[in-house]
Amino acid sequence: MLENFSFRTIVEYLPLFGQGLVTTVWLSAISFVGALIVGIVLCAMGLQRGWLFRAPAKAYIDAVRATPLLAQLYFLYFGLPRLGFVLPELVVGILALSLNSGAYIAEIIRAGILSIPRGQVEASVASGMTYVQRMRLVVLPQAFKVTIPPLLGQAIVLVKDSALLSLISVAELTRAGQLLASDRFMPAEGFLTIAAFYLLLYYGLKGLAVVSGRWLGTAGARA
Amino acid sequence: MKIARLFIAGLALAGLTAAASAGTLDEITKRGELRVAVQTQGPPFSLVGANGERTGSSVELAELMAKEMGVKIKFLDFDWDGLIPALLSGKADLLVADMTPTLARGMKVAFTTPYMYTGSTVFTKADSKFKTTEDCKAKGTKIAVLLGATGEKEAKTAFPDADIKSYKGGGPLLLDAVNNGQADCGVNDVSAVKGQSTAYPAGSFTIMPDLLSKEPLAFATRYDEPDLLVWMNLFLNQVTIDGRLQKNLDYWVNSDAWKKDH
Repeated sequence: MLENFSFRTIVEYLPLFGQGLVTTVWLSAISFVGALIVGIVLCAMGLQRGWLFRAPAKAYIDAVRATPLLAQLYFLYFGLPRLGFVLPELVVGILALSLNSGAYIAEIIRAGILSIPRGQVEASVASGMTYVQRMRLVVLPQAFKVTIPPLLGQAIVLVKDSALLSLISVAELTRAGQLLASDRFMPAEGFLTIAAFYLLLYYGLKGLAVVSGRWLGTAGARA
Repeated sequence: MKIARLFIAGLALAGLTAAASAGTLDEITKRGELRVAVQTQGPPFSLVGANGERTGSSVELAELMAKEMGVKIKFLDFDWDGLIPALLSGKADLLVADMTPTLARGMKVAFTTPYMYTGSTVFTKADSKFKTTEDCKAKGTKIAVLLGATGEKEAKTAFPDADIKSYKGGGPLLLDAVNNGQADCGVNDVSAVKGQSTAYPAGSFTIMPDLLSKEPLAFATRYDEPDLLVWMNLFLNQVTIDGRLQKNLDYWVNSDAWKKDH
């Protein structure tokens, strides 16, 4: 089997894979920051008592979770221009990943906040704390610790999802594999190499989860 | 007596071995089905018609092949860059698409003799400031090409300073990208561009009169299917002689007569 495998070609294409890897990393990093912002805003809206904020946040989260990321991406890239908004592919890519991941992150943060025992909130109300004090001093510091591992898990999902951006002509890691597959008709070499690079990114993020877990004192933290 | 029986047994065995080493054509006949890799990239070569039927110049030629073979036909749909891998991995017996038999592709798959000639062209949006092929050479011009297509390499050679954006999928994506303004110019096979631009209002695109290349088109099989390749060449020769090929090309490629039917 391996006699048909051309390591020489992989080495020849390494610079291309390297560029793709760099693009995947920075794209994912910006998108994750964007997703965090979207997630926090959505979560804050979802935790309000009044339906005016809660309903749109809920509808948005449901809409994003119910549709494939590919459909969302194609809508933003090929669909929006027909409605009069032409955005470059990198902007569309970051937007799609942020808007998509943000919906999941909103749910993660919400679960973290709701995991704080009700009694603690009642106790802080009883000791005369305001809403902001309660959040800042009691709820959020604990919720933060709980949400870190699933957030890193979501970051790993986002990195893998960024592969879809190859379909709108972004030269990221998966595109590098596709190029090798289509230039030299070597899909095994192309896709196995990008798999190895994604594995590398995965271990990087997992390592980050372990380190942050120790730092936060949540020993059993898993991403 | 015994010797005679042994002799007969030996003959039967020889017959079995011969059958086992028979070629793809026998396999297709036995299977009763010709498996054809296509890419539904749009007119004129392969498209889904108004009634949802799969049709086009290449598709009709493939159907004609199956008819002459006396078997049914099964179409397998792939992205442009997935066609050759699909053929190589044995998922399809042959591939029909508007594919140019380049030397690089010929290292992997066996092409028939070309059955028509075309070339890559540059196209822009009709109201674009890029009016000629020369204009598209400007530094940083965004040029849309199809991943794995010959136009990709030709664009890189003809426009070394341009920003080449390669799309995965079919030719209509290139027209879409140019129409939307995500790319300034597009490079693709002239027959494909002409056919696919019919999906837009007339006069939406400027198709440059000069061609970047002269490109033959051919169908392909694997090198381990020599019998099928011989048969396909025979087929193309036959339909050339009896005029069925010209009829097909006149209807699909050299005019837009197909538009009223599909």
